Order: sequence, then structure tokens, then C-alpha cells
Amino acid sequence: MAEKLGVYICGGCDLGKSLDVDALVDFTKKSKLAGICAVVKKNAVLCSPDAVAEIEADIKESGLDGVVLCACSPRAKWDIFRFGAATQVERVNLREQCVWSFDKDAKIPGLLDLMAKDYIKMGIMKLSKSRIPTPETPETNQAILVLGGGFTGLNAALEAARMGRDVVLVEKAAELGGKAAGMLKTFPMSHPYTKAEDTGVAGLIAEVTSNAKIKVLTSAELTSIEGAPGLYTVTVNAGGEQVFEIGAVDLATGWAPGDASYLAPMGYGKYKNVVTTAEFEAMAKAGKIVRPSDGKAPASVAFITDVSLCTKGAEPSSLDVCAPVEPLPDKAPEGEPEVVAYPPLESAKHLAYSSELTSLVALKQAGYVRESCSEALAFVLYDHMMVPGINERYYKAAQDDAGIMLSKATITGVTEDVDGGLIIAAKDTLLGADVEIKADLVVLPTAIVPVTAHQATTNLVYRQGPGFPDLELFDGFVDSNYICFPYETRRTGVYAAGCVRQPMTLANAKEDAAGAVLKAIQCISSANRGVAVHPRSGDLSYPVFNFQRCTQCKRCTEECPFGALDDDEKGTPKPNPTRCRRCGTCMGACPERVISFDNYNVDQIGSMIKEVTVPDDMVAGGPRVIVLACENDAYPALDMAAFRGKSWSPFVRFVPVRCLGSVNAIWVADAVSKGVDGVIMLGCKYGADYQCHFVKGSELCSRRKTNIAESLGRLGVEAERVEQYEVSIDEYDKVPALIERFMTEVITKFGPNPFKGY
Amino acid sequence: MSNTVRVQPDLKFVQELQQVGGESLKKCYQCATCSVVCPLSPADSPYPRKEMVWAQWGLKDKLVNDIDIWLCHNCGTCSDLCPRGAKPGDLLAALRNMAYRSLAKPSIIGTWMSSAKGLPILFLIPALIYMLIWVYRAGVLGTAFPLFATDGHELKLAADGAIIFGGLFPGDFFIDPIFGAVFLFMVFAFASGIATMLKSFESMPKTFIVGRGKEPCFLCCLIDTLKVEVAQHSRFQSCGTEEKDVQRFTGHLFVFYAFIALMVVTSVVAVGHWFGAFFLQHLMGIEGGLAGLIAWAGHTPMPLWSPVKLLANAGAGALIYGLIKLTSRRTALDAAKSSSNWYDWYLLTVIWGIALTGIGSEIFRLIGQKVLAYPTYYLHLVFVFMMLAYLPWSKLGHVVYRTVALAYARKIGRLPMGELK
Repeated sequence: MAEKLGVYICGGCDLGKSLDVDALVDFTKKSKLAGICAVVKKNAVLCSPDAVAEIEADIKESGLDGVVLCACSPRAKWDIFRFGAATQVERVNLREQCVWSFDKDAKIPGLLDLMAKDYIKMGIMKLSKSRIPTPETPETNQAILVLGGGFTGLNAALEAARMGRDVVLVEKAAELGGKAAGMLKTFPMSHPYTKAEDTGVAGLIAEVTSNAKIKVLTSAELTSIEGAPGLYTVTVNAGGEQVFEIGAVDLATGWAPGDASYLAPMGYGKYKNVVTTAEFEAMAKAGKIVRPSDGKAPASVAFITDVSLCTKGAEPSSLDVCAPVEPLPDKAPEGEPEVVAYPPLESAKHLAYSSELTSLVALKQAGYVRESCSEALAFVLYDHMMVPGINERYYKAAQDDAGIMLSKATITGVTEDVDGGLIIAAKDTLLGADVEIKADLVVLPTAIVPVTAHQATTNLVYRQGPGFPDLELFDGFVDSNYICFPYETRRTGVYAAGCVRQPMTLANAKEDAAGAVLKAIQCISSANRGVAVHPRSGDLSYPVFNFQRCTQCKRCTEECPFGALDDDEKGTPKPNPTRCRRCGTCMGACPERVISFDNYNVDQIGSMIKEVTVPDDMVAGGPRVIVLACENDAYPALDMAAFRGKSWSPFVRFVPVRCLGSVNAIWVADAVSKGVDGVIMLGCKYGADYQCHFVKGSELCSRRKTNIAESLGRLGVEAERVEQYEVSIDEYDKVPALIERFMTEVITKFGPNPFKGY
Repeated sequence: MSNTVRVQPDLKFVQELQQVGGESLKKCYQCATCSVVCPLSPADSPYPRKEMVWAQWGLKDKLVNDIDIWLCHNCGTCSDLCPRGAKPGDLLAALRNMAYRSLAKPSIIGTWMSSAKGLPILFLIPALIYMLIWVYRAGVLGTAFPLFATDGHELKLAADGAIIFGGLFPGDFFIDPIFGAVFLFMVFAFASGIATMLKSFESMPKTFIVGRGKEPCFLCCLIDTLKVEVAQHSRFQSCGTEEKDVQRFTGHLFVFYAFIALMVVTSVVAVGHWFGAFFLQHLMGIEGGLAGLIAWAGHTPMPLWSPVKLLANAGAGALIYGLIKLTSRRTALDAAKSSSNWYDWYLLTVIWGIALTGIGSEIFRLIGQKVLAYPTYYLHLVFVFMMLAYLPWSKLGHVVYRTVALAYARKIGRLPMGELK
């Protein structure tokens, strides 16, 4: 607990003009918590070097263990206000949340000063309930396990070895090389990016097998991964069980060619001369491109990349991303945890997901046709040419070949001609009419289906199961957040690279391998310092369990989005700090409130809420609304809105939370019992296009909200007084309207909280 | 709805097109910027986007029957703004070159005309014909560089006489019959070319225009074309608005009217000589009066103050001015955007040849430099032959083909009748 605080109130950036800073200093000196505030000062410009030096001097002189800086947002000038590991810092956001966003039209006088006083009290209270965490620092394993010996896995192993790590490379097949070994050539990987080139996989295999730091296990099966990041025990069966001590895992298990029966609408399986790109590649690799029907070299080959005939009915669903969710059961089901099932996730959608590669493969294989014979024609019929980045050059080069003819086309059918040739019917072409094109051979795309669409793959010994949860959101591709956090999976310590997480070219897979290895190393070296890997990189805090009060309800173990908690036979949670991402979802889940962080806990936030002054008469003093705002998106959005001159109701008070998943129902109860008229939970989008940094936090909050609303109803308080809104970081312009809507639709409609004044 | 069309790609045709000036055609990725920026392209089924993809697929049938290649006046705006450097303007020019090569019979001349390889034979034909005449006449006259004095209608060798080209190369027996034959040859070649072209247009869809009424007759369309397109150059003028386009428009207009002037002069000479001097005076025996005036007007060499001579010299001046404009524009073209092909340079060179040797002949004649004057005149004959005899297979063939195509386009509703709005 911080016990000797310094409170500093800044007068810069309009604060001095709008607020009576002297009065705020006096107010603080006389407040309830004045006893622990050893220093209370104002400063004209708190971020100036002089002011910072003054704070440093006060820390030294008075032995302060915490400073409360009442100035700008914690997102501004964070690099200036750092006073060493022994001094906690709390930033009271008077600039963005009070002064800049203050709605000057308000009819009740003195509201701005009241608001500033509330925030100062809340800030002091928060810091008074905060400790500096002292995590355990386990001795971690340094070796990296690479799952999969294909192009990505080989590159990952080499990258890790180059960085001085011992590597265990596990390959299921008898030979290394994976899919790349079966390719004749691949898309250009070097300047001028116009010619297909050798994959280089033979060289990679030679390099890997001759590297002393890499232990290669072929014909090997991963039996299990036990433990936690930095401390894994991995069992591999390669003609006998072997056990390895592993720090982190790179998942490069790649893909399998999609089920070709999805291609039946275009004649696959019915006509001999309709083949897949995978089959065509094998022919090219074997050195002879022939028609299966008569073994003759085709004079014309049509590459179809428009798969609309096959994907009809498999379009991504247009589900409302904010669809209402089922409330959580009051108590987790009794008995043994169920065996987690992983139903197959392959569908025709994988054809569409692979479209970048489908485009590139068509160009590459059209090149094979042209190289095989100068008179041969290659047609490419596409819905779109998806060749982002440098591959545009490859597309241009292919276009330049007079014998490669390209057109946009929507394929309406493929039929066989009497001579065994195929007639492709297409509409919406660039040729200006519905057309028929005859070709000796038709080549259809091969879908890239991640191996994780069919099996758990990682064989983790985790309470939540051996594989990754919720992969149906990504149709089997491994990813926790596609854009913000590549490589990161739903299991800390396991980093995905290559086609198992996204269909990609070899050039991208090589970069991906390097990225995932760096992530694995970051994980190991975070674990051995006791800090979080991501997304709260470097966070020292960790959940602390008060087991005496635990009722073994298993809420926390089931709801942790990252499977961090295992449990014993009785159901008592077993924390694994190195698996944890410090979101606080467990803290929010716990009905007994036995889980806390040193610097973020149920009591602390509850006490902050209680510091908000709620006038007994809503008409004279105005209503009060607590906004629990997610630190990751909502809070920055509020800052940005204020920065851009937006303003909102002066009756709201913001309380930052790590994630809406960490919101404990008791906070809402605290607020309502205090007479607060409404609670807004402002967090990220959830559902298929979720934005939540902790994947499930905002969704879980929404499910819990239903339960909270029911409890409120039993107390005679309208359920509508608690609302959850979704806002992403770029939607700052929508924030004032959201708050306004709540104020008019909820507060004006329902009037004062019936508990007011008790 | 449209019927399904069997596409028959032709690789050889693509490669052929690339050789005659469409080498960048494969770069097109069908964004249609070209059709959007074209100042002339119709809104319905616009060119040159569709021609680009037809060319990429080698759809020969579509392209050889396409009337739109004649609707383009090649300002190059499409090529300038093409994001891929596919040069659609060049492709349409190449397609026109292909038409020049293949429309008229005998097609062997088309082959000779299509590349620099054919140039020696094309040059040697007139060069030999006129050299033979020169050698023969030198034998008759006893000198290759004769001077003449006039005696009534007769010419006599005279040491202190003047240079008279008609003395060395007599019009009656050599120049006029040869050019007469060349002209007839050209007319028949054009006739075959036009027949082929109109047949190819039969596959063009007819545009139904609401409120248009009856389809206009071909003659009405032709007259409209001559009035709007040829005499006023109105579509040509609205084809591009940049400095270089204005330069091209002015240059073309000057060259065009210079040729009109020179054609009038040639006609006056022919009528004066054959109708006035030969028919009226010689055969009918009418002297003086109107017959004398007609004969005099066509009599060469003319005095410098003769209105016909003044018109001829004005025409020559306009020709040079127009040529300078056109040539400087063409040499200033950004090769990355659009380029000039063999057809362009052949025509420009021949016309420059005609203009310079024509003016040179006159100047050398007037200053009495017979050693320079006769060879220059000889070259002038060769160049004029090269222009006239091969006209249906040269870029100048557009005089006829484009006029017919534009008239046909009016007939089928592809172009509106009347002034450009």
C-alpha cells in the first residue's frame, strides 16, 4: 500500500484558467485522505523540468512512495512522469476528462470544480490501495520447440539457432521440407520479382540438419506439452518417447490441400481433364504436364480462380457482431470437466480465404505451360487478381507474356467436349459478352486448410483442452488477433507462423517464422523476469488468490480466455503466472472476490467509485453516472474526443479498467447502493469481429451484465440503468452521442436511483 | 440478352499486333481509364478498353471487323494517362496499320509497306521508271541537263535557254500517262479495300436510337462526314486539348489544305493542257478567247505572278509549315507514353520529300542551276509516285478509309449526324 503520497495539481494547458487550483490544493489538504498526503502542491507547468525535479526532490526528502499527478491523461507524457520502481504514479486526468470535455452549457453552477474534486479523491484513493507487485521470477527453459519441418518450420529453427537458442524440430513425416518440397518453383522472392524461382527448401534442409543447435526429429509425433511458458515439459514420440525441457513453442504445422470435392460444381471428379493446382504442380515437378485422359501435352490450359460456383452458400455469415449473448450460468456445471471436442472446421470458405495464393499459383502455373511449349496457351479466368505488394511485378511480368491470356470471369459451368477438351462457360467477362472458352486442360484452385482445422495439434495438458479455443471464428486458422497481434495465439507461449495462421507465400512465411521466433524469445525472457509478455508487456502484476475463501466454483478456470488456470481434483484453481496476460478476467469472474492484483483489485476500484460525491437531490445537483472504461480502446477514444474539442455530460465519472472482463459485479452494486443513477460499461466490440485485447473480456462482461441486471431487478432498480456500449479506438467521435443517449434514454426516463439518499 | 460467344484466342495474331506497333498491349489490366479520358469515345461500348482485351486474347475476328479504330484520331490522351503504360492509342494505330496492310489488293504491296525491309523495292520501282525516261531522253536530246527555248507550242534546245522540266520529262508521253495509270491503279485498289472494309462492318451491331427515325442514306452520311469531319476537322479538333494536340490539329489542317491547293494547281495544269491546249486549240483549232485563257492557265512553266503559281507556292508554304508542326510534335513524343511506328515515319518522310524536292526544283530552276534542278525534279517525281501509287497501303489511306468508316458509323448510328455538340 502506498502510505506517503505527494499530490501535485497542474495549472498548465487551460487547467489554471478553468479551475481554482489553489482551492483544489486546500480541498485536498482537508480531505478524508489528507493524512497520507505528505505533500500537496500546485505547479504552473507540471511537466516542466523544474517541476519534475521538484517532485524528485520531494520523493527523496519526504520519502514518498507514491505520487498523484493531477494533470493530463496517463497516455500523455508518460515518459516524463517516471520516478523509479519504488514510487507508484497515479495520473488524475483533469485535462482531457474535466476541462477539455466539460460541457459549458450546464445549468448547475460549480460542476467543473466538483468534478475535479471527485477525480482527485478517486486518484488518491486508488493509489492508497495499490502495492508494487513482487512477482516470482522462475528459472526458465531457453530451448524452443518448433512444430513442423516445412518451409516455415525450417526457417523458424534456423532463426532460433542463429539467436543462440537450442531448437527441437518435430516433423510428423519421414522427410523434412513439407509442402515446399513438392513444388517445382515458387513466386519470386528476390529482385526483380518477375520470375518464379526455386523454393530453396533443399538448401534449408541441409542447413538445418547440419546445425548443431537444432535437434531434428522426423516421423515424430508430439505426445504432450505440459506446464507453462518458460517451464514446458514436452514429450515427443519418435520411435520411442523423448522428453524435452522447453521455453516456448513455434507452431508451424502448416496446411493440407483442401477437400477437392468442394470443386465438384466445376467438373472436378466428373471430367478426367479437370485437375487441381496441387495435382498440376505434382505433374510439373515430375517434369511432364499432360492431359490425364490421353497423356498428351495440352495445347491450352485454363486456370480458373473464380470459385463462386463452389462457395455459393458458404459466404461469411452476416451475423450481427453485437448479437445478444447467453447469460453465464450461476454456477459452473459440477463433476469432471467435459472432454473438449474439436469438430472439423474445413469448408468451401477455405477456397475463398486462399485467393491470394490462388491468383499467384495461377500465374506461376501459367508460366509452366508457356515454358513447356512456345505455342501453348494459358488462360487465367479470375474473379479478382489478388497480388498485393511486390507481387504486382510478377503479375505484370505474366501479363506481358503474349501466351498468357487473362480475363475477369464469373464461371457458370464447365462441360466436356466430344474430343475430351473442356468448355468453360463464363459471364461478366472483360470480353464484352457471355463467352465459352475451350481448353485441353482445366486447373482448379487448391484450398489451403490449416491443420488446426482438423485436429488439436498442440496437445497441451491444459484444463481447457489440448488445442486452441474458438477457432471456428477463424475457420480453423490459428490467431488470437489478426491485425494487432500476429503470431500470438490464445495460448501464451505458443506462437503460430506460416499457413497454419493465414494462407501465405513462402516469402511471407520466412518473415513469419522470424517473427514467431522473436515472439517466443520475448516470451521466455519475460517469463523469467516475472512480467507479462503481451499485450500488457512488462506488467509486473499477477493475480493473487486468497484460497481460504475460494468455493471451488471454477468460474475463473473456465472463463480465463487464455487457459491460464488449471485446477486440482477439488476444483481449486492452480495459477500459472507465465500463461497469464493480466487482463483480470478471473477477478471479474470471481463471485467471492478472492482474486486480486497488487495494483488493481476489487476493493480498490470499489473504493474509488465510493469517492464520487452523489448529490441527494438529482434535480438540484444533477444525476451521477459511472463509466467503467476499457483502458485499451475506450479510454484512448475518450482522450481523443476531448483533444478534438468534443464535450459531454458533466455528470459522468470515468473509472479506467484493464478490460471489461475484469469488471466485478460488486462494483455495480457499490455504485447503485451509493445512489449513482446509472453505470455504463464502455469496451471493445465482441463477436466475430472482436476488438478486445483479451479476446473474450467484453463478451464475458456482456454475459455477466445479464446476471447483474437480474440482481438489480430483484432490488427494485431498473435493469436498464446498467448498459454496455462498444466503442473502438477510432470511434472517438461517437463517444459524446453514446453518453448523451444514456443520459436522455436512461436517466431522464427512469429518474433518480431509488437508493439515493440512503 | 447477349448470346454466348465462343472465344478463339489466336497467339499468332497477338504477336503480329505487337510487331506492327502494339507491343505494349499486354500490359493492360482493364481499368478503363483510357475509355473514360477519351474525348471522342461514345458512352455505349466505348473504345479503346475493349480493343485492348480483344487484342490480349488475340480475338482477330472482333478486331478486324471493328469500326471504332477509325473513330479514334489518336490524340494519345489514353496512352498518356494509362497507369500501366499499355499505350492503347498505339494499339489502335497498329490496328489501322493492319487494315492498311490487308484491306486493299494486291496485298504484296501491303507487305512491302509494313516495314523498312520493303522500302528499297518501293523506292526502286519509280526510281527505275523515271531513270529509264531520263536516260532515253538524254540520248534523244544529246544531254542529260538540257536548256530550252520556246517556239510556239514547241520546245527547242538552246544553249542560252531556260530549264524546262517538261522538256526533259515530256508530260504528254511519259508523266501524264504514267500518273494516269497510277491513279487508276490506286482507285481500283481503294475500291477493293473499301469493299473488304464495308463487308467487315456488316457484323457491327446497329445502334437503335430513340427518336432517330429512318436510317440515313449512305450518301447523306458521306456528305455529312465530308462537311463536318473532313472540311472542318471538327472531331479531330476536339481530340485532345493540350498544346501538343493543338499543334497536331494545326499541322494536319495546314497539310490537308496544302494538298487541296496543290491538287487544284495540278487540275488546272491538266485541264489547261489537255482540255485547253490539246483538245480546244490543237484538235478543234480554236485559238484565242476562252480557249487561249484555259490553255495559258495550264501552261508550264508559269510566270511567278500567275494566280495558279501563287496558289501553288502558297500551298507549298502551308505544306512546309504543317509538316514542321507535325514532325516536331512527333519527335517530342514521350516514348514511354506513345511511340511512332514505321507507317508514321514513312508518310512523313514521303511528304517531306515531295515538299522539299518540289520547292527545290522550283528554286534551282529559277536560279538556273540545271545540274541541281533536274535531279531534284527527278526525285520529286519518285516521291510523288511513292505517295500516289502506294496510297491505299500507306497511312495516308485514312483519307479514304476513315471517311468511308465515319460515314458508315453515321449510318448505323455509332456516330450522330451533324455538327459536333
